[in-house]
Amino acid sequence: MRLILVDRSETQRRQFWPLTLSRPIWDLRCGMTSLAEKLQAKTGISDVAYFVPDYMAEAYRERTDRPVNQMSALTGQDVLILDARVKADSLDVSATGRSEVGVDEQGDVLYARIGTSDGKKLKGSDIDALLASAKAGLPNVRCTLLTWQYTWDLMLASPHQIIADFAAAGRQGIEGTIEKPSALRGSKKDVYVAPGVTIHPMVVIDAEHGPVYIDEGAEIHPFTRIEGPCFIGKKSILLGTKCREGNSIGPYCRIGGEVEESVIQGFSNKYHDGFLGHAYVGEWVNLGALTTNSDLKNDYSTVSVMLDGKHSIDTGSTKVGSLIGDHTKTSIGVLFNTGSVIGAMAIIMSTGKPLPKFIPSFAWFIEGVVTKGFGRKTLYGTAHTAMGRRKQKWTPAQEAMWDQIFEMTAEPRDEAVKKGRRAMMK
Amino acid sequence: MATVEERVKAVTGKVLGLDPEAIRAENNFTEDLGAESVQSIELVAMFEEEFGIEMDEDAALSVTTVGDAVKFIAKVCKQQGVDVEE
Repeated sequence: MRLILVDRSETQRRQFWPLTLSRPIWDLRCGMTSLAEKLQAKTGISDVAYFVPDYMAEAYRERTDRPVNQMSALTGQDVLILDARVKADSLDVSATGRSEVGVDEQGDVLYARIGTSDGKKLKGSDIDALLASAKAGLPNVRCTLLTWQYTWDLMLASPHQIIADFAAAGRQGIEGTIEKPSALRGSKKDVYVAPGVTIHPMVVIDAEHGPVYIDEGAEIHPFTRIEGPCFIGKKSILLGTKCREGNSIGPYCRIGGEVEESVIQGFSNKYHDGFLGHAYVGEWVNLGALTTNSDLKNDYSTVSVMLDGKHSIDTGSTKVGSLIGDHTKTSIGVLFNTGSVIGAMAIIMSTGKPLPKFIPSFAWFIEGVVTKGFGRKTLYGTAHTAMGRRKQKWTPAQEAMWDQIFEMTAEPRDEAVKKGRRAMMK
Repeated sequence: MATVEERVKAVTGKVLGLDPEAIRAENNFTEDLGAESVQSIELVAMFEEEFGIEMDEDAALSVTTVGDAVKFIAKVCKQQGVDVEE
C-alpha cells in the first residue's frame, strides 16, 4: 500500500499563503511534526508519493527522495490518496477495503482508496483527472473527515498537539548535557533533552503545564526560560529567550526575545529582543532587533486577517499574531499589527508605527510604502547568501519556483506599488 | 517639452532636495549628490512615474551618474515607445 498526498487546489492552497507559496500544505508543522508525518503515522504507511502544484515540483524533488508528480507512483499497488488538508486525528479510513472515494459536502475528494485492479480501469493523464475518474467510477462515500482550513488553525492547535506528539514520541529524560546551576520545574517525565543538546547554566525548563522536547544538537543559552508545552528543533539555539508556552521552533533557528504560542518553520532567526506571539513564521526569515507583533486587540475582539490584502477573514480567535512568508527580513524596530500577513521574500523597514496588515510578497516596504526596491535578483542573492551560511543551497530549481511565485503574487504587489507611488508624489 | 536631461535633473533635485540647476551630468548619485540606498529606490520609482516607463531594477540601480541615467532612460523610452525630447 502506498500513501499518496495531494495538494493541487490553488483555491485551498491560498488559504495557507504565504506559507504554502513555496511548500505543500503537508510540510507545515503543527506540534512537533509536519502534517505529512502525522498522516503517515496515522495510516501506518511509510511508502509515500507526492502530488504538488506543477510550479514547485522540480524544487520539491530536491527536498525528497520520494516520487513527486509521477503518475507511475499510482500503479502496481493499492493506493490511499489523501487531500493534504485532512486532519490526521480525524482520519478513520482503513488502509484496506474496497475501492471507494470519500467526498465532502462541497464535493471535494478528501480520500480515495483504490485497489490495484480498480486503478487500472481509471483514466487520467494527471492526478486531477485521475481523481475525477475515480470519483465518477468508484463508489462515493460521504465523509466527514476534518480538514485544516487556514494557517492560523495550525498555529492555534499547535500547543495541544505538542502534548499529543510528545506522548506519541515516547521519549523522556536527559540524554544531552545540562550545566549547573539550572532548574527543572514539573515532572522529569515531561522533559526530553536529546543527545547532543547543551543547556548552559541559569536555564529554567518549566514542564509544569506541558512537556518540553529539545531535539538533537540544540543549544540553550543562559537566562532562557522554556515553558511547556514546547518543541525546539534540531540544532536550534535559544539566546536568553523568554520562551513562553506553546512554541514549536523548527530546526536551525536562532531565537531570542519573547516568543509565545508560535510556530517557526525552520532556518529562521529572531536573534534579539522583541515579542513574537501566536505567529507562524516561514523559513529563512530574519526578524531584526525589537521586531514585535501584536497578537491581541485592545478591545479583545476576534482577530481578522487579510490573506489577499482585500478581504478580511474573521479567525474566530482573539489571539492571532503574524503570518510571515519565507525569506522575509525585517529591520530593527518593526511593529506588526494584530493578524498581519507578511508575504514571502519581502523586505520590511520600520516606520515607528504598526505597519499595514497586509504586505505583499517581494515587496520592499520602505518609508511606509511598498516599492519595487532593488528587485527580485537582489532578494535571490540574499537568499543564496543566507542559505549558504547554513550549508544549504539556493538552486536553479528554487529560483525558477520563486520566479513563478513572483508572477502569482504580482496583482496585490503592483497595486501596492501604485499606491506607494501616489504617496511618494504628494 | 523639457529634455530627458532636464527632467532627470528635476526629479533628482526633488527627491534629493537639491537645486536642479546645480546638478551636473557627471555627478555620481551617491558620492556627489548624497543619495542613500533608500533614495536610490525612490529615484527609480520617480523616474518611472515621470517618464511613464518600467525599468528593470537591477539595470536601473547599476546606473551611477546623472548622465548615465539620462542615456539609460532615453534608451528605455525608445524601447517602450515613449516619445521624449533628447
